[in-house]
Amino acid sequence: MSDPQAEARADVSGGIPGEQPAQARAGAPPAGDAPAGALPAGDAPSPASLRASSVATAVSLLLVLAIVLGSRVLRNFDAALLPYAVATVFLAFGVAYRYMLWLSAPASRCLLRQARRGVFFRVRALFSRASLSRARHPLRTAARQRARAETRATARAGGTAQAPAFTAQAPAFTAQAPAFTAQAPAITAQAPAFTAQAPAITAQEPVFRERPRARRIAHQLLLWGSALAVLITFPLTWGWISFTATSAAGPGYELRVWGYRLAGFDALSIPGWALFHALDLAAVLVIAGAGYFLWRRMRDRGALTGQRFAYDLVPLLALIVVAVTGLLLTFSSLVLRGGGYEFLALLHMASVVFALIYLPFGKFFHVVQRPAATGMRRAAHPAAPAAQDGAAVLVCRRCEEPIGAASAIEDLRTTMRELDLGFDEWAEYCPRCKRQLRGAAYLTQVKKGYV
Amino acid sequence: MMGRTIFIDPGRCIGCRACVSACRECDSHRGTSLIHLDLSDEGHSAASLPTVCMHCEDPVAPCAEVCPADAILVTPDGVVQQADPTRCIGCSNCVNACPFGVPVVDTRARLQMKCDLCYDRTAHGLAPMCATVCPTGALFYGTLEELRAERPGVRVADSFAFGDVVLRTGVATVVPADKVDWPVPGGLPVVEVNGVDVP
Repeated sequence: MSDPQAEARADVSGGIPGEQPAQARAGAPPAGDAPAGALPAGDAPSPASLRASSVATAVSLLLVLAIVLGSRVLRNFDAALLPYAVATVFLAFGVAYRYMLWLSAPASRCLLRQARRGVFFRVRALFSRASLSRARHPLRTAARQRARAETRATARAGGTAQAPAFTAQAPAFTAQAPAFTAQAPAITAQAPAFTAQAPAITAQEPVFRERPRARRIAHQLLLWGSALAVLITFPLTWGWISFTATSAAGPGYELRVWGYRLAGFDALSIPGWALFHALDLAAVLVIAGAGYFLWRRMRDRGALTGQRFAYDLVPLLALIVVAVTGLLLTFSSLVLRGGGYEFLALLHMASVVFALIYLPFGKFFHVVQRPAATGMRRAAHPAAPAAQDGAAVLVCRRCEEPIGAASAIEDLRTTMRELDLGFDEWAEYCPRCKRQLRGAAYLTQVKKGYV
Repeated sequence: MMGRTIFIDPGRCIGCRACVSACRECDSHRGTSLIHLDLSDEGHSAASLPTVCMHCEDPVAPCAEVCPADAILVTPDGVVQQADPTRCIGCSNCVNACPFGVPVVDTRARLQMKCDLCYDRTAHGLAPMCATVCPTGALFYGTLEELRAERPGVRVADSFAFGDVVLRTGVATVVPADKVDWPVPGGLPVVEVNGVDVP
């Protein structure tokens, strides 16, 4: 280990430094950083690989079909955007292939089971009698809960003698009820707003809840900048949305989705300008977010530890190149009167195609993988709501401290047996007891009375 | 066993917790100590045992094998890294599968953390923080030859037994000369008498 980083650099294969997750190293399908399709020469593809190829091919064909149908049999398809559309088909293949391989590993299958169970607990909790009762009588339930909380607080304070005083106040509380009832429509009106926020909260909450604010903001900028760009460009390149001029003189335009007219607008109005420059806004968001992370990766000593160029830096650089070349296109048309536009368009296209094809194999794949954390919250940890909802919690066989949800530990033991890790029984001991038992074994069997 | 690695000698550990303090200095988990110091027979013996990640080699890193998110990567030189924060989903699989009780999970941040042999230092030829400050040499960093130059005749073992399973590790343990030929017991109780585990 004289210079491991040099070794890591020397061991670059497939564009990714030689670090590999152990699932791939231990003979499981290559589901990690290494390009998933890279099978050793002469080896027959595994069943998991074949299944992944089949699913990925089906997904790609479905996308091609959707492009053909959505663009009204290619009538609205813009041939100039063909390379982008082809790149998205490759992207669909790569993501589906890698996702299927990822799920074929024993540990990932276990995760899927846990996530399904997590969803089950949520749905069950949502339709439980208490939940339905709360939904039917929100104000009555809230008042009842408040009364219970007050009673508990009174009891804690040793104030049972105060009970008559509270009873005396009861008519006053009852008198407030109409006021609460009057607020109900306002509360109900807020519901869509909360519902609309849910995806945003879900997307971000498990990822950065405990991270520094600057990183949270930068990640939001990067996420929403990328999402905005994807939502605009993908349907455009597929011919799903198109803009048509209402008259030869302009400036009226029509926005058509799948060939159907959705809205008409004036290209010179503020909404029209914003619509045509939404990608510039997305580029600014992406440059701000990715620029911060790039700056952090140059300075933060924690981030510098074990940082890999291909995995950690290339995605950021790719996003910045895509965004900058995109902005330069606008700059060319607005300031240079189209000077250098063709070269810039080619550069932009090359950078976008590279980023899309790289997505399934590098850090970008966390966009697909990471949402599993939302299912995990309920499933695995002893403090998880699933455990509190009544699911059994396994305690350490030695010290009886909680280890985790019994179902999650059982899943883990199954996974360990599938991986030939024959000490799965050890999973029923807490980490501290494992260490203490090992120390005791050293003390009694290896170096008796070693102090 | 890796070429340059940590050698643990529990017989030398005095439980001073200098390693625990020094571990907080590691740049990859600044402010959080990830080395464990346990008392093996508290109240009866002064024996203490420092635990760093043993960087399992065969089977390779059980923590990484059971990771559903491919978050734990192994470097070409055999160092098992702590979970990649962009991938880790905080499922605790690694915590419960590790036979040595090494990884911890920050449940609020939903992230796994573990000793990575101070990769920010060892990658540049420096000793890990714990071995740098250990006053008794219970944690030694170097090659086996360097250890033997300091402690002539010392014997080490790099395999542990958990029931029928033998695990070979990148980090080695000092053992008496007559215990070299068999794996160090990992502590997994193999017999249960009247509901009580017997090691």
